[in-house]
Amino acid sequence: MTMKTLAGNLLTVKWGAWSLVCLYISLVSGVLVALQYDPAAAYYSTAAMDLLVPFGQYFRSLHFYSSQFFFLLAIVHLLAVYRSTDSYTTAQWGRLIATLPVILLLLFTGYILRADSTGASAGAIAEAILMDIPILGPAINSVFFSITDHGMQRVYVTHIISFDLLWLALAWEHLRRYRIRLTDYLPAAGLVLLFSVFVAAPIDPEKLGVTYIAGPWFFLGLQELLRYLSPLVAGCIFPASFIFALFLARKPHRFFNAIFIFLVIWLLLYLVLSVLALLH
Amino acid sequence: MRRPARKSRKILVTRRIFLGTGILSLLYPLYAFIGFRLPRKPQRIEVAKQILPGQFRLFPNFILFARENRVWAVSRKCTHLGCTLHYVEKDDLLECPCHQSRFSTDGRLLNGPAKVALKTYPVEVRQDPPFYIVTL
Repeated sequence: MTMKTLAGNLLTVKWGAWSLVCLYISLVSGVLVALQYDPAAAYYSTAAMDLLVPFGQYFRSLHFYSSQFFFLLAIVHLLAVYRSTDSYTTAQWGRLIATLPVILLLLFTGYILRADSTGASAGAIAEAILMDIPILGPAINSVFFSITDHGMQRVYVTHIISFDLLWLALAWEHLRRYRIRLTDYLPAAGLVLLFSVFVAAPIDPEKLGVTYIAGPWFFLGLQELLRYLSPLVAGCIFPASFIFALFLARKPHRFFNAIFIFLVIWLLLYLVLSVLALLH
Repeated sequence: MRRPARKSRKILVTRRIFLGTGILSLLYPLYAFIGFRLPRKPQRIEVAKQILPGQFRLFPNFILFARENRVWAVSRKCTHLGCTLHYVEKDDLLECPCHQSRFSTDGRLLNGPAKVALKTYPVEVRQDPPFYIVTL
């Protein structure tokens, strides 16, 4: 098989539908996990789910991995259908691009909610970044995080309601246009259900003498950058520049090539930063 | 023909101003509601067991050190981005697991990226249990 036919075959896979199947599983398993999760005893209830609740570890794993697959497949879907997005209006394109950071924030708040050493650190860093944003930062922190003052209460609301509604509002038009039937994608659903049987969702209990905590995989580059730059630049302006460039990256744009090069350099830089973070 | 157009434009502008003012006036109660924080009571942590000179005890928010005739409590919240610090016993210092800022046991900054020293908390030393009361 030549590279061209392989690429052609990969493009014909319905990545968007696969991604949506993962979202369905993530939502259903999320409701199940929420029944046993207690934001007032976040780490205790998460650990109890893994150790005591019958099938708790499985459902937590299913929620974790279906959410990760949802994000990864959404990215593959974007790459696969990118050429046919020229027909979208600027507003439609903007809304769809905005869904990506919202998914990432959903994944990120999920990490925070388990309140283990990775989650607690991620939450503290998120708060510090937001508080560094002039004028609006403290208000945004109050709405979505506010961990110092309210523990996991507001992050929980953010994770299970606010960001889901926001994502749905942004993706609604797109979802209405491309409906799928779950029964047509049973193999995809089966793979995710089976994967979670064998791979447990991570949890990092606090241990004495730990000198390095690596954040979620998509946060590693940012964690490394925070070492050198202020929270506002590293945690806000730098990632926002990528999203903004992605929003502008449309064929008719005058500077399309320059934007494309910027996106590639940004991704390479982020990859290098992530590797550096892992090497500590 | 011009008059009705100008009139309708005027009505539209007035409506927009009215709606804009309405939305802005709704934002204030929303901001005040979400941003309200219940005043916090000072937390008093009672430590029942005595700490021998040279020893330390880890708590979620602070570390209690006892050296010679002195007992003190230092915050575990890194002043860089708020991660929880660990005590590195062999080097006798506190280190942040997120970005490796280092602090001395009395809270002084040794290494960045943090730029500010750690908070310390008053400790009341008593002869009977609870032997120490730390006020956060």
